[in-house]
Amino acid sequence: MDTQLLISGVIFGLSIGSIFFLLAIGLSLCFGLMRIISLDQLLYYSVGAYLTYTIHVATGNTWLGVLGGMVAAGLVSFGVERFVFLRIYERDITFTMITSFGILFAGIGAIKYIWGLIPRPVPVPIDAQLQILGTGVPLYRLVVIVISFLVYFGIWLFLNRTITGKAIRAGIEDVEHVEGLGINVYKLFTITFIIAGILSGLAGGLHSSLIMVDPQMGLEVLAFVFMVVIIGGLGSIKGTLASAFIVGQVVSLGSLVYAPLAQMAPFATMLLILLIKPTGLYGSKLLKR
Amino acid sequence: MKVLKWWWGILLAFLLLGAARIFLPLPFANEIIIFSIYTMGCNFLLGRVGFISFGQPAYLAVGAYATAFYLYYFGTNPYIGILLGIGVGLVVSAIVGAFFVRLRSDYFALVNLALAVIIFYLMEKVLAKITHGDNGLWFLANMSSTPVLNLGKPGDFFIFIFLVAMALWAFYKYLDDSLFGACCLGTKINEDKLRFLGYSNYSIRWMAFIIANTTTALAGSLYAVYFGFVSPAITHPARAADPVVVTILGGVGTLYGPIVGSIAYTGMKDLLSGFIANWELFIGLLLVFIMLAGEKGIWGTLDPYLKKAFYRKGTVPK
Amino acid sequence: MMSPHTEFAAMNNSEILVVKDLNVSYGESKVLFDANLSVKPGQVVSCVGRNGAGKTTLLKTIGGFLKPTSGSIIFNHTNLIGIRPYDIARMGLKYIPQDKRVFSDLTVRENLELGSYATRDYNWEQVTSLFPRLKSLMDHKGGYLSGGERQMLMIGRAILGNPKVLLIDEPTEGLAPSIVEQLKNVFKELSKKTALVIVEQNLSLVCAISAKVYAIKEGRVVTEISDEESIRSNICEQYL
Ligand SMILES: Nc1ncnc2c1ncn2[C@@H]1O[C@H](COP(=O)(O)OP(=O)(O)OP(=O)(O)O)[C@@H](O)[C@H]1O
Ligand SMILES: [Mg+2]
Repeated sequence: MDTQLLISGVIFGLSIGSIFFLLAIGLSLCFGLMRIISLDQLLYYSVGAYLTYTIHVATGNTWLGVLGGMVAAGLVSFGVERFVFLRIYERDITFTMITSFGILFAGIGAIKYIWGLIPRPVPVPIDAQLQILGTGVPLYRLVVIVISFLVYFGIWLFLNRTITGKAIRAGIEDVEHVEGLGINVYKLFTITFIIAGILSGLAGGLHSSLIMVDPQMGLEVLAFVFMVVIIGGLGSIKGTLASAFIVGQVVSLGSLVYAPLAQMAPFATMLLILLIKPTGLYGSKLLKR
Repeated sequence: MKVLKWWWGILLAFLLLGAARIFLPLPFANEIIIFSIYTMGCNFLLGRVGFISFGQPAYLAVGAYATAFYLYYFGTNPYIGILLGIGVGLVVSAIVGAFFVRLRSDYFALVNLALAVIIFYLMEKVLAKITHGDNGLWFLANMSSTPVLNLGKPGDFFIFIFLVAMALWAFYKYLDDSLFGACCLGTKINEDKLRFLGYSNYSIRWMAFIIANTTTALAGSLYAVYFGFVSPAITHPARAADPVVVTILGGVGTLYGPIVGSIAYTGMKDLLSGFIANWELFIGLLLVFIMLAGEKGIWGTLDPYLKKAFYRKGTVPK
Repeated sequence: MMSPHTEFAAMNNSEILVVKDLNVSYGESKVLFDANLSVKPGQVVSCVGRNGAGKTTLLKTIGGFLKPTSGSIIFNHTNLIGIRPYDIARMGLKYIPQDKRVFSDLTVRENLELGSYATRDYNWEQVTSLFPRLKSLMDHKGGYLSGGERQMLMIGRAILGNPKVLLIDEPTEGLAPSIVEQLKNVFKELSKKTALVIVEQNLSLVCAISAKVYAIKEGRVVTEISDEESIRSNICEQYL
């Protein structure tokens, strides 16, 4: 295969992987700590993307839009957490999965109501190309990759250096013990949920200029994001990072080999991994509740 | 006595449906019945075994394509096409189920979704030579007319699926009351206890999975014969959650849930999308509301009132 | 149902924890029937009973982790029914579970930090003087500790914030006799400030330290022995 194609393929895969990672990390944390499958994260992703579009139209600045998207996603997720999840954390996973799907579905309806059905374009904020080994690579994609790594280290620092982060890590192991020490776990839940929402919004904002913004965009990435979370092992942060980039590369390089593979290969990879290791790469067997 | 009572309920439901046949346009009635057959499998899995699947379209597509391949390439008799759909559905769900039912319920939901996506791209791109990709397979003209009930005619087709649905209802009712049904509930509620009693959770789940998804495949075959056309759109990932939504709307694990849910869902979709473009908003909020209000669904909520109305005081069966 | 007035009247002689007619079920199956229990400040109270008698259920319910179907739990003049476990812990009633699971991904130091974070009590002296062993393990991950060290850490992080009552579920399960001996001294030391409710199968320990013993059988409190002499002479053996 020719190097130029390969390089741009790898970069493309890394940037897609970055978006998947930003989306999946929140889901994974939510699952790890609260034992919920929060399909509504895909709504915050769409909210982030749409706000980016709207703010870009108003101000002409895409970065400002991304920032606004994150804020809006955080606010919406906070509202949803308050009104819905706070009542249902105790329920089983199936229950939260269906409820959060309802929220996602309703959100898609609301988006159609506000922004209409037509897909909207958002221009790439950085047009420059970077030469890597004689191949022109869009700088914006590299920026997206860098941002996702910064987020990874930010989360790592948060979880390992702050007391709240340590409590969240402890809660991922055993919520009851954390509660038994006298820590208000619902506060931890809220913090985690909002972090997840903001990161989903960031993913939507960054992704908006790489694709068309349309009401169904959440449903379109849903399957991929969940695949990332599952391959990595629900609740594992390291696993999520690894699997996001695996999936990104499988999508990107797979399509270089044979176009239809782009969509199918990752799912086949996932089935294979699950058949070998039913809990994903880094998933733990120990699950309470 | 007990037998008589639930028969009454089903007869009543079907009388209503039969009456609806007069008032409602035929395509609408047909769609509702096939949709409720489609939902029965999901309803059984979720309500009895506690498995939620976001990949039911996968099995729908298996049945639909089995029938379509037969009617397009090999034969003309729609009945044989349907039987083939059931057979292939049985085999596929037996193989797939053997792996899937080992997974935890959350993984199960998503793995099924993955299967639906794989089948979608398989049919759309990889096997495009035989499936004709997005153009789909058209075979309405290939179907020969059959004696007694001519499935090519929408009116006869209605009677046929009416009878099929009724038989399925009786079958699922029978399952609910049988030892197997009790075991299914057992794996959902307390798998350890069931194991101590000497049952294998794995084989019970596997059986349940096969039954449910063979039903789904049958629904796929019926769609194929009804439209005389199958395209990959039938397993599009965006439609993956339809049966789950309908199951919840109708009332999880209830006997009449699928039909009530199908009527409500199809009706709302047709009615609301006429008035407002964003019926998802309504359905989504309804879904959340139903879950928060005790996840009983439409039928589950009506049930006690109907019982009160239909039975004299003190004779209400629990 | 007793009126609040009589409930508080029962606490006249300065009991810190009073459990009255507690009933607990898991779904359909009822596990605890009309359990009664009372603890005075600084008292060591033991519960004995066979496996599956309902001891863990009793402690978890007091700690707020299970909802009773009826009954009351009065701690320090407050009825605990309906209060979240973390609030109960902060009020000074802590439950130390049976499973001996410390946070395995966190170091000993971080485990203790979490105890301090919740209670705003950063005085680790009292922990390290009770368990000098923990001092040398500060930077080890919880997952690599031995069973005895885990138990020390669990007790250590629970006594931060000076709780008034500690509920300890089978602390000596699977521990070597020398460690059990050490824990015995720790419990004696602790009981100067804190009341202890200990579920225990090790009768020699129970007999050595308890001021009161409750025997639980099939979900019922069948006997209460508060006479020290008979406790010291191993009378509770018959209930195990
Ligand atoms: N989560 C649960 N769901 C259903 N039943 C339970 C649950 N937890 C405990 N039980 C049942 O409640 C009864 C009492 O259990 P409990 O754990 O309180 O006993 P225990 O006295 O602590 O026993 P051990 O000495 O073995 O720790 C047992 O019969 C047990 O099977
Ligand atoms: Mg116990």
